[in-house]
Amino acid sequence: LIVNSSPPKLTSEDMIAAFSQAVDWAGCTIRAFAWHPHTSKFAVALLDDSIRVYNSNSATIPSLKHRLQRNVAAMAWKPLCASILAVACQSCVLVWHLDPTSLSTRPSSGCAQVLSYPGHSPVTSLAWAPSGEVLLSASPVNTAMLVWDVSTENCVQLQWFGGGGVTYLAWSPDGSKVLAAAPSAVFRVWEAQMWTCERWPTIKGRCQTGCWSPDGSRLLFTVLGASVIYSLSFSEYRGEMQGQVGGSKTASIVADLSETTFETLYGEERIGGEIHSMVWDPTGERLAVIIRGKKEVLQTVIAVFRTRNSPVFELLPCGFLRGECGAQPQLIAFHPCFKKGALLTVCWSTGKISHIPFFFMSAHVPCTSSSPSPVIASTSVCE
Amino acid sequence: SFYYMKGSCSPLNITPLYALSGLLLTDSVVFSVTSCVTVVLLQCSEQYFFLILDSFNDLYTSYVIFCILLMSVVILVISIFNVEFYAVVPSIPCSRLALIGKIIHPQQVIHSVAHAVMGMLVAWCAAVMTKGKFQFLAVPCTPSESLDDAVPQMCLNEHHLFFLLSGAFMGYSYSLLYLINNMNYLPFPVIQQYKYLRFRRSLPLLVKHTCVESLYFVRNFCVTYYFFGYIPKVWISTTMDLHIDSKLHPLDTLTGLLDLSLFYHAWLCGVFLLITWYIVFLCFALYNTTSDPTFAEETDQCLPKILNSNPPLIIKFLALQDLMLLSQYSPVRRQEVFSLSQPGGHPHNWTAISRECLSLLSDLTQRLIAQQEAAAANGRAKQPAGELKVTPQTPGMSNIAPRASMSSLVKSSLMPLKTSPGSDVGSPFSSPALSCKMGILDVNSPWHGSVQSSQVTRRGPKLWTSGSGRDSSTALEAVQPRVIYTWLQNKQQQNALISSQHPEASIQAVFSDAQMHIWALEGLSHLVAASFTEDQFGVVQTTLPAILNTLLTLQEVVDRHFKLPHVSSKPPRISGSLVDTSYKTLRFALRASLKTALYRITTVFGEHLNAVQVSTEHKKRLQQFLEYKE
Repeated sequence: LIVNSSPPKLTSEDMIAAFSQAVDWAGCTIRAFAWHPHTSKFAVALLDDSIRVYNSNSATIPSLKHRLQRNVAAMAWKPLCASILAVACQSCVLVWHLDPTSLSTRPSSGCAQVLSYPGHSPVTSLAWAPSGEVLLSASPVNTAMLVWDVSTENCVQLQWFGGGGVTYLAWSPDGSKVLAAAPSAVFRVWEAQMWTCERWPTIKGRCQTGCWSPDGSRLLFTVLGASVIYSLSFSEYRGEMQGQVGGSKTASIVADLSETTFETLYGEERIGGEIHSMVWDPTGERLAVIIRGKKEVLQTVIAVFRTRNSPVFELLPCGFLRGECGAQPQLIAFHPCFKKGALLTVCWSTGKISHIPFFFMSAHVPCTSSSPSPVIASTSVCE
Repeated sequence: SFYYMKGSCSPLNITPLYALSGLLLTDSVVFSVTSCVTVVLLQCSEQYFFLILDSFNDLYTSYVIFCILLMSVVILVISIFNVEFYAVVPSIPCSRLALIGKIIHPQQVIHSVAHAVMGMLVAWCAAVMTKGKFQFLAVPCTPSESLDDAVPQMCLNEHHLFFLLSGAFMGYSYSLLYLINNMNYLPFPVIQQYKYLRFRRSLPLLVKHTCVESLYFVRNFCVTYYFFGYIPKVWISTTMDLHIDSKLHPLDTLTGLLDLSLFYHAWLCGVFLLITWYIVFLCFALYNTTSDPTFAEETDQCLPKILNSNPPLIIKFLALQDLMLLSQYSPVRRQEVFSLSQPGGHPHNWTAISRECLSLLSDLTQRLIAQQEAAAANGRAKQPAGELKVTPQTPGMSNIAPRASMSSLVKSSLMPLKTSPGSDVGSPFSSPALSCKMGILDVNSPWHGSVQSSQVTRRGPKLWTSGSGRDSSTALEAVQPRVIYTWLQNKQQQNALISSQHPEASIQAVFSDAQMHIWALEGLSHLVAASFTEDQFGVVQTTLPAILNTLLTLQEVVDRHFKLPHVSSKPPRISGSLVDTSYKTLRFALRASLKTALYRITTVFGEHLNAVQVSTEHKKRLQQFLEYKE
């Protein structure tokens, strides 16, 4: 008796859901989120394939729709620009050129530039260079990472052999290095001057998420299925090391977030599990992590850590964030230039978006921005 | 004025510049020769595999060595042509007439003839190494049935002739494509990569492209041979006293040409020829457009000097690319830029660099204004009729805010420009109604005969950079084509189709050297942004008003230029082609990098910019940038 069984083919939606930074990309209302790097403006991608742009200085909420804008996996605003938004779609990358002073609620499809490349779909991750010159796009089925010059629509393919495509991209804030995670148990760190890379095999599984310190000297990353945070340090970028990434020999474990029992005022709580996504604030002082508990046994919570990168690296637990009853955290992001400390934005599974401030004095000023900070709304915070 | 920096670069010592360019070019020639010889040897090794099975033939090995030497000579000649014809600024023919003029230009004729001859030599090498029926031009005729002919006669081997002619045809087609696709233009890459990595990453596309192109060439050649094959056949057989073998099928018939093995061998020969020539071209292009880190150390002290003198265009390009890279990646070299001279305490380096960059940008501003005025004057000379046809290609086009005072500001900040008598430059830009009217210029109508058209088309020959890239002033060479051009135009005044200006091409021609300006913008803005924290002596602060003034003026002029017809529409993009057509979209890259440069400065300086002395109009625009509303 011969049973002919082929492995089930992953559809594009399955792929995006598996590799997205959102906890429940397929079922939740909010699919992607992106803060503008200089102003208090953010874009939200919704389940109905539309994108809404909210601006604290304006009551108009433009809604962006395009026939090619389906299954949005990620979005990124162009740095050093008023309002250009890159959207990772099913079959292409859409770059919206919005008019910052327009009061229109439905910008026309003509404002969107289509960047497509054969075989590069679905696009699951995008990263702009901090100097705003090039855009990187990644797809899990394409072994080439594309470097786009958006204005001329030219792209350079950076190709390698083995390891599958690229699922997640993260560019260091100083512009020197790029993390490219693959669907297999390996990730690459590219240096952005001469575009050479270092290959890092992981033992247990693929790299799930990663984030950089503000000066690009440290990479924190997690591996799928594990509850630990790894740290990889890089020699400080001085500009004279062309063609060298400069990573250290091994990564070290800096935090273990497996299940533990905590004594709280409300009784015993079991918190812990796999790490789904991680973000580091631009001052380098707060780290937020979404911990995915086992379904129906543990809730999904956000853990916040106090961090410091110099003179030594320090990671101290700060507290946990939980939403209203029945609300699971979906996406997290820090505001790129909050002057009074750090502002964490959380998108919940109920469709609500809340902003949680952390007030502290920091030695690093993230950026100069003339727009005032937005009005803060907060949910319960347990310390 | 003489100035000396650390590790002095004396102004009288001009040899470093030419030594550097010579070094680059010899490097690329040597590299391409060695890589092609390797390719050839690999081909031969395949032949050698079959040779081992055959009996060892002394004559054959000497043939092979001779072929290798001949191939090296061919590659050397091709490299020399690449060196002579390259340009970093593409020459874009603005009309079909200009394109025809380019094809019949003597230099292009020499290029085509030389390539045809080289192609024939390569085909001969390939024919000889393939052995079999292709090897010799003259073979003994097939013996006839009758016993009358006791002496065996020599017949023409038509297969060999076919091969040679196909080689010549492919060489000529390569040369023609080189001209049409502007392959002499060396585009600079989007990102920096090591030369070897770039080469390796381009190889798969190169192989695929040559296989397809060879197929097209062989097909075209078969058609040509079918119609005209008898001419060379008859000529060779009479001059070399060879008979045409009547027993065999002649090749210039349908049955003769449908020989698959012939087609396959011709295609293979074409692939071999194109691969070697494209590898030579690729190596040459890569070597001359990738900035080596070691190059940076050698020219480190000479950079301001290079920018201020008038070097060959490619040196200027590489110097600006180097400026762009040092401003982003080299804190040490940036310190040198911001340093003061000893003992005078003058910021010579910064002054030289900023002055050169700003003059480049002002020059572009003037050029754009001149073209806008020409377009406006031409628009008013015609009688526009019909409805308004404004197609908003870019967002924000609908917000045409009447900026009545802008044009006067632009004029005051630049040198007074020559305008055609009777035209009032201020008015087209002051009212939105008139600026919309410009959008309905009928570009298909003939432009011949009117004063404005000759003013615009006269700009065409000045942009022809055909010829040696070393000579940046092409005035002498431009005179000759212009004479022919005007003569032809006078002859065919009724033929509108040929002499009509191609609008897209003329737009590309204005922005053909925009890569320089893009690098100047990036280098300047990165240096200004870095000076916020790194400038110890405040050398940059004093030049901030001039820099902001130039950038804002240029941005305004570019935005206005994009409202002209056809400028904001993108030409179709062909992905996966070996030929780089990035020169067609340089204007978009310029506009984007201009905006990014301004935002870079305003983001870093923030509210401090309010203390900089600029005009009130510019202050208002700077405020827009600070609020991220541009």
